[in-house]
Amino acid sequence: MGHRFVENLPDLIQPEEYQDHPDGRLVRLRIRVTDEGVEVLGDAMRPEVIERVLRSLGQDPIDQMLCG
Amino acid sequence: MRWTPAILHSPAGERVRCDLCPHRCALAPGQVGACKVRRGAAGGMETATFATSVAHTDAVERKPFFHYRPGALALTLAAPGCSFRCDYCVNHPLSQYGREEGPAWEAAPVDVPEVVAAAAARGACVALSYSEPSLAVELTLALAEHGRAAGVEVVWKSNGFLTPEAIDVVTPALAAVNIDLKGLDEARHRRLTGAAAAPVLAAIRAFHQAGVWVEVSTPLVPGVSSSPEDLSAIAAAIADVDRDIPWHLLRFTPAYRMREENPTSPAELAAAVAIGRAAGLRHVYVERALGEEGRNTRCHGCGDTVVERGIWSLGANHLAAGDCPVCGTSIAGRW
Ligand code: SF4
Repeated sequence: MGHRFVENLPDLIQPEEYQDHPDGRLVRLRIRVTDEGVEVLGDAMRPEVIERVLRSLGQDPIDQMLCG
Repeated sequence: MRWTPAILHSPAGERVRCDLCPHRCALAPGQVGACKVRRGAAGGMETATFATSVAHTDAVERKPFFHYRPGALALTLAAPGCSFRCDYCVNHPLSQYGREEGPAWEAAPVDVPEVVAAAAARGACVALSYSEPSLAVELTLALAEHGRAAGVEVVWKSNGFLTPEAIDVVTPALAAVNIDLKGLDEARHRRLTGAAAAPVLAAIRAFHQAGVWVEVSTPLVPGVSSSPEDLSAIAAAIADVDRDIPWHLLRFTPAYRMREENPTSPAELAAAVAIGRAAGLRHVYVERALGEEGRNTRCHGCGDTVVERGIWSLGANHLAAGDCPVCGTSIAGRW
């Protein structure tokens, strides 16, 4: 259950949406077919939620951006 | 994992005392300290932190630094490990190495001349961030020594949990440090982080007095730093060091062992900005939740917008050699 720390990942949730989800339950997924296969990008206000979703889809390691 | 000689220790009977952070672990040979990345050795100490798990290049705004070389790039290194064990750490897959159910060691030794050359080629500084950089004090000194000739500066994003001796050793090596101040109430700070709060505030003062550029970040952690009373106390403590210290207010993200709480609302962040201003702080920032107004720098003399920022990026720097172009007021920073 590893992580790969990457420089950058696109945001799928914008700051304007914070107001509408005070309990932080918003999760957004983008699924694309690329030359390498199926790419699943996720964003969530609760990181563990998106991690659970990606693990259930068989992603390992998971690419993660770090804070700071 | 490669262990190399460490500095900042003193004899303690049969053991060696680590003088790097205020935990001051007394260690037998081979015994690791609370940080899990420094250990006792025959006649001294060793560290695993002359290493990095990443080599990321990004804007300094991301650390965040808003008054240090706006728009400059930072080449970020980070070895696993931290002297804190914060319940909400988003970076726990890296920072909490060695703790219960912690991540495995995945880091490679750092080639200092190579890193400095890579930073110099892009006009970047080297940032130690993501995990706790003070645990890599030897690497910091080596990077600064090599960086000096190449014009490459070294900066930290740190928890500020250092002994006075360690601060004295490292200040000549650092151009800027952003320190997380997560609260001032000792009992609650200790519950959250496993460590005392007073040394963090002392470090902010000491780095500032030594001439290192200091910015402070405070995550609005429920029950620790998010109440108006707690934020007022934190803002007053920073203002007591210097009103010009930029204060970054960070949205709390439910993560790791704090998953039940809600994220900080934009309204709470706006209220926290007002609290910071009321305490006399001149530069209070929110990275995303309050839009551009949360990120821009205004002149405290005339109110003109002097630095515009995007999310984790520089928009435009209107300062003239650090002065407001409209009224000439000097804005503190390393411009
Ligand atoms: S740096 Fe590590 S070994 Fe040294 S005192 Fe702190 S926790 Fe202990």
